[in-house]
Amino acid sequence: MNLIGSYALLLALVTAAYAFAGGIAGIRSRNPLLLSSARRAALALFPLVSLAVAALLYAFLRDDFSLAYVAEHSSRDLPVMYKLAALWSGQEGSLLFWTWLLTAYLFAVLWVNRGRHPELMPYVGTIVAGVSVFFLLLNNFAAQPFNLLAQPMASGGLQILRPADGRGLNPLLQYPEMVGHPPLLYLGYTGFTIPFAFALGALLARYPGEKWIHLTRRWVMLAWAFLTAGILGGAHWAYAVLGWGGYWAWDPVENASLMPWLTGTAFLHSVMMQEKRGMLRVWNVWLIFASFLLSVFGTFLTRSGVVSSVHAFAQSSIGPWFVAFIVLVLGVCTWAFVKNRDYLRSDHRLDSLLSRESSFLFNNLILLAAAFAVLWGTLFPVISEAVQGTKISVGPPFFNRVNVPIGLFLLFLTGVGPLLAWRRTSWSSLKKNFGWPVLGALVTGVGAWVAGFRAFYSLICLMLAAFVTLTIAGEFYRGARVIRGRTQTSFLSALGTLALRNTRRYGGYIVHFGIVLIFIGLSGAAFNQDRQADLPPGSKMQIGPYTLVAQTLTSEPGPNYTAEQATIEVFRNGRSMLMLYPARRFYTASQVTETMVAIYSTLRHDLYVVYAGRNPENDQPVIHAYLNPLVKWIWLGGVVVLLGTILAMLPGAAPASAKPAGTATAEAAAALTEAGTPR
Amino acid sequence: MMPAWALAILWLTVAVSPSATDRARRLGERLKCMCGCNQILTECNHVGCTVSARMLQELNERVARNESDDLTLQSFVQEYGPEVTIVPKTQGFDLTAWVMPGVALAAGTALVVWLLTRWRRGPTVAEAGAVQERHLAQARRETED
Repeated sequence: MNLIGSYALLLALVTAAYAFAGGIAGIRSRNPLLLSSARRAALALFPLVSLAVAALLYAFLRDDFSLAYVAEHSSRDLPVMYKLAALWSGQEGSLLFWTWLLTAYLFAVLWVNRGRHPELMPYVGTIVAGVSVFFLLLNNFAAQPFNLLAQPMASGGLQILRPADGRGLNPLLQYPEMVGHPPLLYLGYTGFTIPFAFALGALLARYPGEKWIHLTRRWVMLAWAFLTAGILGGAHWAYAVLGWGGYWAWDPVENASLMPWLTGTAFLHSVMMQEKRGMLRVWNVWLIFASFLLSVFGTFLTRSGVVSSVHAFAQSSIGPWFVAFIVLVLGVCTWAFVKNRDYLRSDHRLDSLLSRESSFLFNNLILLAAAFAVLWGTLFPVISEAVQGTKISVGPPFFNRVNVPIGLFLLFLTGVGPLLAWRRTSWSSLKKNFGWPVLGALVTGVGAWVAGFRAFYSLICLMLAAFVTLTIAGEFYRGARVIRGRTQTSFLSALGTLALRNTRRYGGYIVHFGIVLIFIGLSGAAFNQDRQADLPPGSKMQIGPYTLVAQTLTSEPGPNYTAEQATIEVFRNGRSMLMLYPARRFYTASQVTETMVAIYSTLRHDLYVVYAGRNPENDQPVIHAYLNPLVKWIWLGGVVVLLGTILAMLPGAAPASAKPAGTATAEAAAALTEAGTPR
Repeated sequence: MMPAWALAILWLTVAVSPSATDRARRLGERLKCMCGCNQILTECNHVGCTVSARMLQELNERVARNESDDLTLQSFVQEYGPEVTIVPKTQGFDLTAWVMPGVALAAGTALVVWLLTRWRRGPTVAEAGAVQERHLAQARRETED
């Protein structure tokens, strides 16, 4: 099977190179046969790379330890679920997985748009095929997943080795979320290739109007949703597995995922300016270029070892490949922009400073400032080393101090932006829309202060959360009231009709509400408590309202590990509530010990208990307990964000009194007349 | 016997200054465990990590001796190298770490304000052409496919 995998990858590289070169030649010569064959070659990439992926998975399932990658990342006793997840646990496999997702996206975009947009699609197929060439070069020459374990023989040949067992999967990765988090993240990263290809293709083809924006909207949202789910999944994984009590450490690899998310979020907003007003064409093209480049840059950071990171399981010397690719892509983008920049000439006319357009500009400014701050902090150790000769570290205190105010301002804009009208907002409507939310924010602030919520940023965060929630609720209420008045249905039914009629708008509001919930969760971090104590069976410790009583310390066998497990009974107000089982697992294949955290989660706080091992001085078990307020709101917020994104991706249902077809064109003609009229 | 005023000063000092534990924790949050885990010193949770245990013990001893924050951090830098601190200094080249995000935000704000002011003046002849092109493109889009 390894031969099949190797040849499939080699054939995929040749096919991708043909799709790329043939696509360019076809576009230049306008030869339909050449374009058609290049398109088919691009479609063939997915089955070819799928064959390679299947071959590697087969090797994992068959415990074929003659393959270096399998021997390095699996073992006979590894559960099947993790044998499958081991595909993306190391450098070679994860790059193959990346290529597979990329070719799947390419296949999907070409299939969905078959027979449509004949001027644009050849560019899209060619550009994605070009990106695939780069990743297939890595798969074939820099990070080969089908290398055999071999040693030189005295006769001069190579002897293939077949170890009896592998070294096992990194224990940190043996957690259910490891099965979901990396694929989601990779789907997000690779997903930005599609809008990037549309943007670059439209620029190169001088494709008319805003059509590329319409064609890519759902692809951008899909990539953004996957990236969001991947980031939150990673945060939850870090929280539940790493055992330090937190979910976000501003690690360079975490930052690498946040940067394209921030620019992607900026794009999702600013693109509306282009659709509604024909503004920001240059800006939008560069935002999507930046999102794609930052996705590749994130991969470079993860694997090159250029900055220190806790994600050290996939580092190697492939950094120069990525640097060359990023420089090349940046060069192509710049050349295309310089060559065709007149095509991006925008219709910039602002009726009022108090308008949706202004708020979107500020929203983009803040998102970009946050992305820059994260990039700057992440790269500062490298910059410092280049300038001063000494490599310093930049950690959470820096990122928190810089990004928390930026994040809060962004939360404020989340509430303000949607309530401002396009073109112009009158002061009276401003007062009408913002009166209750401002009052609600003040009442929340006073209430939180009285309740002892006195950390400055957390208090501001709660006030803004109330403000934004009330603005969103107001929007839903006003819209549903109108529909109820017209249709005489119940308010709940009117709410459903409203959301389904303009899915994009109300899906967006739900996403905003999810972000509010996440911010509420983050605000709890200021009140985290923790205690650590020796806790032999029968003894107890107190944290917040909970009393932890150690019951037993037992040894439990697992499928590929032995666990030392503490049984802790949790009491509140003298009443037994539940049992928690924090543990340490010793993985036999890798000879590594990891902690397994026990979490009791409520909306108010998480009781997070870690069995930290035995005290070397007295051999007593050590329990480290944390009380982390509001953490659950973060995960709930993530679910709401994803639900809102799904709603926003659905096509909106036409209202009962929908205008007949052709009206939009008539409106466009009317707008044309209007544009020539002085205001 | 200690005079009453000295007792009062001592009481005030003890009451106002953070406890040694709090101070050690605060300083520990500005240091990195040097075992290679890249975690904050006070958050290193590697089972049996001898490096963080040694560093924490040293930190507690220095705080117990009432060494100043600067001296304590400097001692760690001398022992473990500049990478041990995770908060850039506010002097020398490190100051740029703090300044640049603010500069970028200020420059961005100035740019946005400039753009808004410029756009409020109304479209140029070229921009009016772009308006026409946009609406034509919209009409084209809606009659295609």
